[in-house]
Amino acid sequence: MTDPKISIRNLYKIFGAHPEEALKQAKAGMHKDELLEKHNHVLGLRDINVDMQDGEITVIMGLSGSGKSTLIRHLNRLIDPTDGEVIVNGENIMTYGEARLRELRRTNMSMVFQKFALLPHRTVLDNVATPMIVRGSTRRSYEAEATKWLDRVGLEGQGAQYPHQLSGGMQQRVGIARALTSNSDIMLMDEAFSALDPLIRTDMQDLLLELQRELQKTIIFITHDLDEALKLADHLVILKDGEVIQQGEPQHILMNPGDPYIVDFIADINRARVLRARTVMERTKEPRETNGEVRTTATLEEVIAQGKGNADLTFRVMDGDRQVGILSMRNVLTALAATVDASGPSDRK
Amino acid sequence: MATYDWVFDSLGLRDWCDGSGASSAPMSMADLMGQAGATPDTTVWDTPFPSMNALNDACASFPQARELTRGLERGFLDIKDSLSVVLDPLTQPLSWALNGALWLFQETPWFVMIPILALIVALISRSVKLTGFILLVFGLLAFINYYDYAMQTLAIIAVCAFIAVLFGVPIGIAMSRSDRLERIMIPVLDMLQTLPPFVYLIPLIFLFSVTEPKLYGIAVILYAIVPVVRLTNLGIRMVDPEVIEAADAFGMTKRQKLFGVQIPLALPNIMAGVNQTIMMSLAMVVIASMVSAPGLGVLVLRGIRNLELGVGLVAGLGIVLLAVVLDRSTKAALARVNAAQKQ
Repeated sequence: MTDPKISIRNLYKIFGAHPEEALKQAKAGMHKDELLEKHNHVLGLRDINVDMQDGEITVIMGLSGSGKSTLIRHLNRLIDPTDGEVIVNGENIMTYGEARLRELRRTNMSMVFQKFALLPHRTVLDNVATPMIVRGSTRRSYEAEATKWLDRVGLEGQGAQYPHQLSGGMQQRVGIARALTSNSDIMLMDEAFSALDPLIRTDMQDLLLELQRELQKTIIFITHDLDEALKLADHLVILKDGEVIQQGEPQHILMNPGDPYIVDFIADINRARVLRARTVMERTKEPRETNGEVRTTATLEEVIAQGKGNADLTFRVMDGDRQVGILSMRNVLTALAATVDASGPSDRK
Repeated sequence: MATYDWVFDSLGLRDWCDGSGASSAPMSMADLMGQAGATPDTTVWDTPFPSMNALNDACASFPQARELTRGLERGFLDIKDSLSVVLDPLTQPLSWALNGALWLFQETPWFVMIPILALIVALISRSVKLTGFILLVFGLLAFINYYDYAMQTLAIIAVCAFIAVLFGVPIGIAMSRSDRLERIMIPVLDMLQTLPPFVYLIPLIFLFSVTEPKLYGIAVILYAIVPVVRLTNLGIRMVDPEVIEAADAFGMTKRQKLFGVQIPLALPNIMAGVNQTIMMSLAMVVIASMVSAPGLGVLVLRGIRNLELGVGLVAGLGIVLLAVVLDRSTKAALARVNAAQKQ
């Protein structure tokens, strides 16, 4: 495996008057509630270690107060950590001075915000061109580039409007176009779609995946919505009370939840739509008598639909024209019920 | 004898009290009544507060209250000359500006001046109705022969409000960037705002000659600068923190952030401050007529002094009309700024 694009090492963040004192306690193993009670310091993040690979979407998921927004702000140092390192392209950005940091923010990283954070007094085109204007481009040189990205996110001809004249979904498209204009290889997205209504949110997720197939950026995406996380993530990190409780490939987490908290979390989702054939199949190359073929990336929902509801079928799972496994309906049904097995009495559904 | 004799006796200060001989303090009303033999019966109900005067009764060496105000006055008079040496040249441009503006506003003939004013209002408000109203007001003031007075008032406001904004906005920006400066400035601004306007005039009269325009210029600016400072500070502090975060995230320098984000987004508040500053300079320019500021205020003062009811009332109404004109024009400009950047 190549070196990760971004690597977070032993990151701690403590909010309060004397974070150094509280840091010792946190390192000694004190958790969020205890630290708040005994030392009146808020533990933002505790011993975070995450590697983010080049060209992947890393989704950081957690409920409000879990520290996910704090964590993403450490990546471009909008917030400075109490302890730990953030390594971007092999360099520890904690050692950066003001000018070098600004350079990083201008060229290596761009950010998309939950409430869009557009400049209300500038036109959509000027908003999209913000990263280039910041670098000192003249109107003539940024106009073509900004228009290109505006068209790419589906806002042809809206450049002369002001942000308040656009709907929420369109405003966030402007936000994404702005991030793309900076031509950085890392994109930070802080609950970028949380303020949008569900239908538009789905559109935006599709847009993001489409752009990602084309541009192969390193995207760090924050969300509190598990469906969104599972849809987008190549690598999923689950945060709770400022600590990483599980990280890995989303399908893997779904099948092997490592914590009762995660079991609760995944209880509500539609497993049939998220789990894929390759995750639940039996790995075998030997051919068997089957009722048909499915792709590795087919969701269980698609498999069930293909079997027309019959419960005693088996399928060959194909990667291209090569068989990689066998999927029986029994596997499918077991996988759908897995949450109940694993969670036992703690499951309320 | 006096009520608080025992204080000085028990502290062993009796010698010090009597040592300096008879009371050096000027005679008070109570002393005079005492000499006249009208010693009132003293009961415990009449026990005086241990004030400076009461203690002076017990001990002649203790200063009376009037020594305090006199000391302040003497102190001010002592530093006045050196203060003038510094302040005089610094504030001289203000006198020139005021004289220049007064000359310009009065020498420009009415048939040039009124259209120019209407044009300015039309440009900043883009409203035909308001422009018509301005023409009507100045026409009316000119018709009743108050045109010259109105122009004098307008000239002073133009200069003073301009200077107040010129200094007020940067002070407000500095305040918004430093919490410590804000903590220092807020009591100062509170004091400037609550100090009765007449009180400004007293030390200024000592510092500058009453014939100089800068005397009332400074008073007007000090009084009117407060709202623009306050609202600039507030406006910049109230800019959506997420937008500021976005500015940081895209690597804006402090200067780019200030001129590209903070000031434009604080503009509605700053404009509201400018509006208030103009209104307060109008209020102060009337009071400043007591220290030779020309304009409609002079007529109001004449109305009071000579009990010329009609002159006072008409001049007062003229001021109201002027206030309405200034207020509506700046508010129209403010509304246009607001419309351009509502979210």
